[in-house]
Amino acid sequence: MTLEVMARADGPIPLDLAFRVEPGELLALVGPSGSGKTTVLRTIAGLWQPAQARVTVQGKVWLDSATGVAMPAHRRRVGVVFQNYALFPHKTAAQNVACAIDHLEGGARRDEALRLLDLVNLQGLSARKPAELSGGQQQRVAVARALARRPDALLLDEPFSAVDRATREKLYAEIIALRAHLAMPVVLVTHDMTEAQLLADRMVVIDAGRMVATGATGSVMSDPKALHAMGIREAAAMVGAVVRGHDADGMTELQTPAGPLWLPRFDAAPDTRVRVRIMAHEVIVSRARPEGLSAQNILAVKVIDLRAGDGPAVMVRLALGQDIILARITRRAANQLALEPGDQVHAILKSMSVARDHIATDTHSPPRYEGDKTVS
Amino acid sequence: MRLARSAFFSAVLILLAGVFPALALAQSGPVIAAASSMQFALADIAAAFTRQTGQSVRFSFGSSGNFARQIRSGAPFDLFIAADEDIIADLHRDGFIADKGHVYAVGRLVIVAPHGSPLVPDGSFDTLAALLEAGQIRRFAIANPDHAPYGIRAREALEARGVWEALQPFLVMGENVTQAAQFALSGNAEGGLTAYSLMLSADIAPRGTYALIPETAHAPLRQRMVLLPAASKTAVAFHDFMRGEQARAILQDYGFALPQDG
Amino acid sequence: MDWTALWLSLQLAGWTVVILLPVAIMMGRLLAYRRFAGKGLVEALVMLPLVLPPTVFGFYLLVSFGANSPVGQFWQATFGQPLVFSFEGLVLASVIFNLPFAIQPAQRGFESVPVEVREAAACCGMSPARSLWAVELPLAWPGLLTAMVLTFAHTLGEFGIVLMVGGSIPGETKTIAIAIYDRVQGFDDSGAAIMSAVLVVISLVTITVTYWLSARVGRRLG
Repeated sequence: MTLEVMARADGPIPLDLAFRVEPGELLALVGPSGSGKTTVLRTIAGLWQPAQARVTVQGKVWLDSATGVAMPAHRRRVGVVFQNYALFPHKTAAQNVACAIDHLEGGARRDEALRLLDLVNLQGLSARKPAELSGGQQQRVAVARALARRPDALLLDEPFSAVDRATREKLYAEIIALRAHLAMPVVLVTHDMTEAQLLADRMVVIDAGRMVATGATGSVMSDPKALHAMGIREAAAMVGAVVRGHDADGMTELQTPAGPLWLPRFDAAPDTRVRVRIMAHEVIVSRARPEGLSAQNILAVKVIDLRAGDGPAVMVRLALGQDIILARITRRAANQLALEPGDQVHAILKSMSVARDHIATDTHSPPRYEGDKTVS
Repeated sequence: MRLARSAFFSAVLILLAGVFPALALAQSGPVIAAASSMQFALADIAAAFTRQTGQSVRFSFGSSGNFARQIRSGAPFDLFIAADEDIIADLHRDGFIADKGHVYAVGRLVIVAPHGSPLVPDGSFDTLAALLEAGQIRRFAIANPDHAPYGIRAREALEARGVWEALQPFLVMGENVTQAAQFALSGNAEGGLTAYSLMLSADIAPRGTYALIPETAHAPLRQRMVLLPAASKTAVAFHDFMRGEQARAILQDYGFALPQDG
Repeated sequence: MDWTALWLSLQLAGWTVVILLPVAIMMGRLLAYRRFAGKGLVEALVMLPLVLPPTVFGFYLLVSFGANSPVGQFWQATFGQPLVFSFEGLVLASVIFNLPFAIQPAQRGFESVPVEVREAAACCGMSPARSLWAVELPLAWPGLLTAMVLTFAHTLGEFGIVLMVGGSIPGETKTIAIAIYDRVQGFDDSGAAIMSAVLVVISLVTITVTYWLSARVGRRLG
């Protein structure tokens, strides 16, 4: 059920990219506004046709400009969650979902719609119209409706941009939980790096229609070209950890391969796996293990490599077990410390520098690194 | 569902209006195009015709000139009762009718004024001329001289008296001679020129006063009628009835002179 | 009170609505959703009957399907009677001069359906036909209703074109508007007054019902 996409056009929105998404994989399409990422999604869905394009799913050709095949959107088995949900305002939640079910009739169809609404935690709200639902609830109806189609590919177009932060966190958790039930390739369009890192296995960074970086989420995050497109302040690493317990003084203890990690208390039962986003500019590197510091987290790590950027900074990649942590420090500091690949050093992180929405519970195994795959 | 309900109502309304053509054609019978000056006389004649034969006819009243144009465009009339001869002669010359028809009546022109108007009707137009000079004429109604026979005659009569030019700025044109009478007697004009037969009808007589215009002032209003190619039997019967004694008597009551050849 | 003329007018209005409803749906949808070369011209042509004087319109209609035209002659040959001065001719004229009243509100109705909702319908697997029935019509129908009501009311009142193209043949083309005109000319003021009052009442009722229905739909969609 692999999804393969190629698109090329000069205008009105320039495009030049190609990528694939494996079944069960969530690929994030990330880029600044106007970069063409929504256009790519619409191309996959059948709502747009670039000058040159090819979209195949599981060998079925949905679009091929070379041979003139262009399956209309309603014939493609695609599930789309639109940015503003695009629910049918005159139908109830259950009817919205039922509209997309084409393999059942009558009572069976209704039951299936209710089952899907249960899956997205909307039990009891099935008879409400969209106007009577909150933003987060509408979004979940939209997801249920997209899934009702039994799609070969699931497409999400910035689905979280219209809700507030608290709801967004809940929705992230739900999407992650939902992924256990999804066997199809999923493409998520977003401009929010946190979101991409929390949810995606792989990422494609687009700028002005071109792919500037592609690969596993972690490696893309440290790629200078990607960061140039997304903004250097976005550089961060995802680290997998397991919740140990909560302390009385308001801290939660987590276990990483390189030692304990303390973060401000958040709700999670012990033994829950989480992914934590650690911003590169928040990490301090030290040769010796420091004493008397206020920072609670001192992790033993190994230098993988250093990459210089255009400015005064370098990006240091540090191995933390199977994960990678990024530290963005000045070149001066790197020279002063004489950092070399292979050095055993310490990464220092303030507990307070990890925001709540940078932590997501993880039902999947933490993102693995397949080595870098950067495209220029 | 609301959509279904309103769709249903609309359907019912449309069905009601569309499925009962029989109701619409409650009137039946041949259609006769008639000059509007004949409006009231023909109502009486048709009533007599129906009493005598049990058959009925339908009328469309208007200006003879307009009817001629409609007939040229294929209007489905059975009988054309015009207010002059030239119109019918032209139709015959251009091949739209087989014969030249018959003169059924000779009409007269009258000058009229509503009650309370400064104009006192006078067949020689002396009073009209005087009022014109005094600047007391604001509106004067005649039938449209482009296509209404009574309008053409009105213009001839006014030109003969020499007041046509002076009257120009104050003229109101009626589509046909009945509309001219309506304008003239509405109180919005000082008066006008219209058909004698109209002023003799019960509906209009009480609305004003009138005076006959001498026949020498204009070409005669010899009114001709003619059967059209697809005329039905009833139409033919009515045409013959028009030339019979009963009809002629009624025409006389309405001030028409009768042609000698009957 | 000329009931025949009133029935004739209602029939004329009814048939015009029946014929124009599918036209309004098709054209309104096309103009609302698509952009194409010449769209401005099409919209202007649809608007034309609104701005042309009725007599100009009537003249062109007479020229186009009078007895001397190909259309008129074809009709005469097929049905044995002329197209002008017949009820069928009036229906044809009425359909044409009501195009802006039928298409424009319908177009607005379809434009009010958000693009995203239509795209969502397609992505839910709905064919264009199914999308029209299940999504677009339920959302656009106030516009369609306005279109049909306006068409109906406008036809009831139309005078100049009906007179030119239809003549004033009782039971065939003498509509109530013409009957009123006739009454006035015939010095039958009371007859004219009664019929005018009836026409005013019908028009008021139609307009009130439309506004009431539209308001209800507006509340329902929140």
